[in-house]
Amino acid sequence: MTAADVAIIRTTGLTKRYPRVTALDSLDLQLEPGVIGLVGANGAGKSTLIKILLGLLPPTAGSAEVLGFDIATQGPELRQFVGYMPEHDCLPTDVSATEFVAHMAQISGLPRGAARERTAETLRHVGLFEERYREMRGYSTGMKQRVKLAQALVHDPRLMLLDEPTNGLDPGGREEMLRLIRRIHAEFGMAIILSSHLLTEIERVCDHLVEIEGGRLVRSSPMTALTAPTRVLQIEVDGDRDRFAERLAARGIAVTRSGRNLLVEKEDDAMLDIIRDVVVELDLGLVKLEQSRRRLEELFQPEPDAKDPVRG
Amino acid sequence: MADAPGAGSIYDLGYRHYDGVRLGRRHAIWTLYVHSLRNVFGVGRSFWAKAAAFGILAITLIPAVVQLGIATIAPQDIDIVAPEDYYGIIEPLLAVFCAIVAPELAGRDQRTHTLPLYFSRALLRDDYAFAKFFALVTGMLTLTVVPQLLMFTGNAAATDNAFDYFRDNWQDIPAVLASAILLSGLVSAVGLAIASQTPRRAYSTVGILAAFLLVSAIAGSVFEAAERDTGRVIVLLSPFHLARGTTLWVFGADLDPGSQFARADLPGAAYGLAMVSFTLVMLVLLLRRYRGLAA
Repeated sequence: MTAADVAIIRTTGLTKRYPRVTALDSLDLQLEPGVIGLVGANGAGKSTLIKILLGLLPPTAGSAEVLGFDIATQGPELRQFVGYMPEHDCLPTDVSATEFVAHMAQISGLPRGAARERTAETLRHVGLFEERYREMRGYSTGMKQRVKLAQALVHDPRLMLLDEPTNGLDPGGREEMLRLIRRIHAEFGMAIILSSHLLTEIERVCDHLVEIEGGRLVRSSPMTALTAPTRVLQIEVDGDRDRFAERLAARGIAVTRSGRNLLVEKEDDAMLDIIRDVVVELDLGLVKLEQSRRRLEELFQPEPDAKDPVRG
Repeated sequence: MADAPGAGSIYDLGYRHYDGVRLGRRHAIWTLYVHSLRNVFGVGRSFWAKAAAFGILAITLIPAVVQLGIATIAPQDIDIVAPEDYYGIIEPLLAVFCAIVAPELAGRDQRTHTLPLYFSRALLRDDYAFAKFFALVTGMLTLTVVPQLLMFTGNAAATDNAFDYFRDNWQDIPAVLASAILLSGLVSAVGLAIASQTPRRAYSTVGILAAFLLVSAIAGSVFEAAERDTGRVIVLLSPFHLARGTTLWVFGADLDPGSQFARADLPGAAYGLAMVSFTLVMLVLLLRRYRGLAA
């Protein structure tokens, strides 16, 4: 394993131009190991970036290093240490998962014996048991996704690139897949780059976020900075909400409403005491008093007034 | 993904990293070559895939077996089937074998969209194409060399003195090998260049049969109808004409005066040169296809 402070990905002026569109526009990116979420609208350049990093597409200009290997000149060496799970269906139908994954492990450079051994373990890790000896034509979407994940994992890569890994899964399958991905990072120690158009998934699984729009880098920042606690307190009470709001206003606290919640901008800790006192005075039930966190989705809603401080 | 994760955790021994060797690109290419060669003979595939491959292999042996039968009965040196004529007899079989196998080798991974998984591993696109090509060449070699060797050893065994036979005819062996390699290379390159263009198996099968048999038939009739110089050019554009011309040249055989080859009156080396060039052009088409495929 490389030292933790070494960047897993470093791109300089990375550009991909097609005759009619620019898919990536001079992208400068430096990423450290972790679970990195890649977000952006369809056609923003997420898949293009992943494919260039894998050497599936040549860049028009610029350069990139992955795990310290130059993608242009060291592709085959690099790709021994990288796992890729494409978005679309990519499995043959007339072989079993075991045969297929073992074959793919060898194409990644593993000797035959090791490939077989690791195939058995990997399929167990992704949760494929007896059915792994059956031809894949009868597999459900969930099982296919597991095999796709397994073939990206079998050669013990240092970095995995997962393109929309929850595509086509039902809520249960989605949950399971996200749990697996988190575990691959936390327990197996692999760096992961994960593209998704579902922000809730990114929020749950990733610790770093890269946003691309129209081939340009919009932001690259740690998730903690994006979902930091705000100064807004959410209060929910049982009882006369209007009187509660009036009484707070009378003591100099501005209140806004949001559904069942009352929102208050917290200035200091003394405010918490005031709120407690008012609740007691009016004999209300305090259901909730919490400092709200920013949601990732809020970042992606255009805010006409507030300039996003993270947006650079 | 409904099956109980709890059941899995019973067997869960934790993740183990791989500390062993990583054999890299050469191993990846070799693996793909062996895998493809197995596919050529239908190993690990359906019963019908195996039946077709081994059935055709068996039929290519029939002329050799007939020759051997005659040689045993009539020990005088009767060559019903001469080695330089062998490929001419089994040509249609070679075309059919190629038309069955090449679409499997070049079309399957396109059909199932598996190419991105290969190209994101320890090999290059060109490596992929070459592994497929050499696998098919190896397969075609068994169809071309095995019957010839069977015939040679059989003929030798049928004579009174096998040693004398060998001394008189050993030159046939390098000629067999050279012509078989050239022929197998040409057929494989044409077959894969066509089959790689489409994931649709039916199209490539028909395309390959046409490229060999139809072109051969057309070239034959055009030759009869055309001026001599036009006819010469036509002969050089038909894969099987090239193969026959080259084989006759490699064996140093006398041309049958009535044959198109005698009438075309080209130097033997022209066939060899044209055959190699034709093969290389097909290989370039094959490589270009895989370089250009979106993955």
